[in-house]
Amino acid sequence: MEPTIVIETRSLSKRFGGVVAADNVNFKVPSGEFRCMIGPNGAGKSTLFAMLCGIESADSGRILVFGQDVTRMQAFRRVRLGVGLTFQTNRAFHQLTVRENLTIPQASANLKNKEAGQMRLEFALDAFGLDPDDETKAAELPHNQLHWLEIAMVLVGYPNLILLDEPTAGMAPEETLQTAKVLKHLNSTGLTTVVVEHDMAFVKDVAQTVTVLHQGQIFAEGSLADITAHEDVRRIYLGRA
Amino acid sequence: MRTIVDLISGGADIGRTRVFWIGFGVIVLLFLLYPTQASAFRVSNVSFYLLNIPLGLGMALLWGYCGVLSFGHVAYFGIAGYIYGIIAGNMSENTLGPLAGVAGGLLASAIVAGIFGYFVFYARVQKWIIPILTLVLTLLLETFLGQTAGYQWRIGSVLLGGYNGMTGIPWFRLGGFVFEGYSFFYLCVVVVLACYFGLRMLVNSNFGQVIVAIREDELRTELLGYDIRARQWVVFVISAMLAGLSGLLYVQWGNYITPSQVGLLQAVLPVIWTAVGGTTSLLAVVISAFALNWVTFTLSSQGNQYAMVIIGALLVVTMLFFPRGIIVMVAEWLGRLIARRAPSSQP
Repeated sequence: MEPTIVIETRSLSKRFGGVVAADNVNFKVPSGEFRCMIGPNGAGKSTLFAMLCGIESADSGRILVFGQDVTRMQAFRRVRLGVGLTFQTNRAFHQLTVRENLTIPQASANLKNKEAGQMRLEFALDAFGLDPDDETKAAELPHNQLHWLEIAMVLVGYPNLILLDEPTAGMAPEETLQTAKVLKHLNSTGLTTVVVEHDMAFVKDVAQTVTVLHQGQIFAEGSLADITAHEDVRRIYLGRA
Repeated sequence: MRTIVDLISGGADIGRTRVFWIGFGVIVLLFLLYPTQASAFRVSNVSFYLLNIPLGLGMALLWGYCGVLSFGHVAYFGIAGYIYGIIAGNMSENTLGPLAGVAGGLLASAIVAGIFGYFVFYARVQKWIIPILTLVLTLLLETFLGQTAGYQWRIGSVLLGGYNGMTGIPWFRLGGFVFEGYSFFYLCVVVVLACYFGLRMLVNSNFGQVIVAIREDELRTELLGYDIRARQWVVFVISAMLAGLSGLLYVQWGNYITPSQVGLLQAVLPVIWTAVGGTTSLLAVVISAFALNWVTFTLSSQGNQYAMVIIGALLVVTMLFFPRGIIVMVAEWLGRLIARRAPSSQP
């Protein structure tokens, strides 16, 4: 039986003036997969994420979430379908407390997914060492905890799919390992996970499938072994060992 | 499920301790006793300081909590006042006339704010443009009202009056009871308390938390699943109705209204009250709106032509030395002082 496709793009394109950010992208993530997206700076990874969650509109092509066409759907409605996103630059509410950061998403939670979502949230809070009653201002948290807080905020909404844009940016190696451990566990509970990441050690640790973007196009896609063995990928991104 | 007490005493405003509420109760009691000790003239003046508070609270909600600055909320003050005057003036023989005027005034301010807010928020107008658009609206209203001097600008039996304004506006009454003098003072107290407690409940509710999140980061809030435009629109309409409430009380207080009430000078005042008190506290804005109205009214009534210069200077001092508002920063300082002393008093 074919796995359910959680998110899919069909011939998705986007230009910013003369710059092609996405060029006829056909991208498909099956349910429960841990997908990593890699590529050089300017390859179009963040733009693709922005289109997937509705921050940017596509010039042409279609986006489907759980089979539903969301191409023209507002960002908040896509979230209510079960899509969660964290940003490349941390966007937890820095002037609010940890408790407030974790309370605010509650009212929009995807209640159809409450049972699994609650278990995932409790696991993540525990593993990240976050106290939901903590009255510390988010701005006072260390860098890694601020990133973890934003992931936890997304989990409060009980998503079925999370899109994480460089979740380990600026983290120490042990913090990156901890992030990978938590994300792998969440994925093992059926949470489809798509991550944009530059840290290849992290990618090797977590990825089931890797998509390589280059100049707005999908350059290569496959298992980590396939990608690392791909001569052109090594040339444009990984570097020759 | 949070109770009413939880909502009122939640952390979205300063003042949560038992000592605070005792002090609050004492001050309310002093207000209630004030008419027994003061002349009718002074009571009327204090009514004026009180009636402006809902306008200030609306600005605190919109700007302080939701992050949307409006320089034109006096437009809704004026709309409610004029509509009340038209309805109540035309129904002067009917005991329900003033009540219909209040309903019509509030409804009119809500409808105008609803239409204006719809185009502003659903068109995703950039935040820095909103103060300009709101100011334009109120200045247009002032210009329009200013040219309504002729007899042709009569609605039923009520003349709009151009820059001379609309006069002879009837008192508010319920059945046979007319709210004038002392009873009008008590009406103002009740309205201010109702607005304050209602807004405390609102800002401590889930809705209130989301509007604060919108102020902090609109995109992050939208990507947590919230339609931020709808919430900004609702807050805009609520704050406009609060401005309208002040307008309704104003026309009771003086029985007249002029276009200058929706002019540039008046438009800036609620912003100053909110900035001086502190944008992130309803209580601070209640205090600053009352105090600054007292200062300007007292100085103006003594013939001091520098009242507005003094208020402007106060705004500059606030911006330079108290960026979060004088009352909020003093309250924070007091809170730290009490917290430092509390452990040392333990055995």
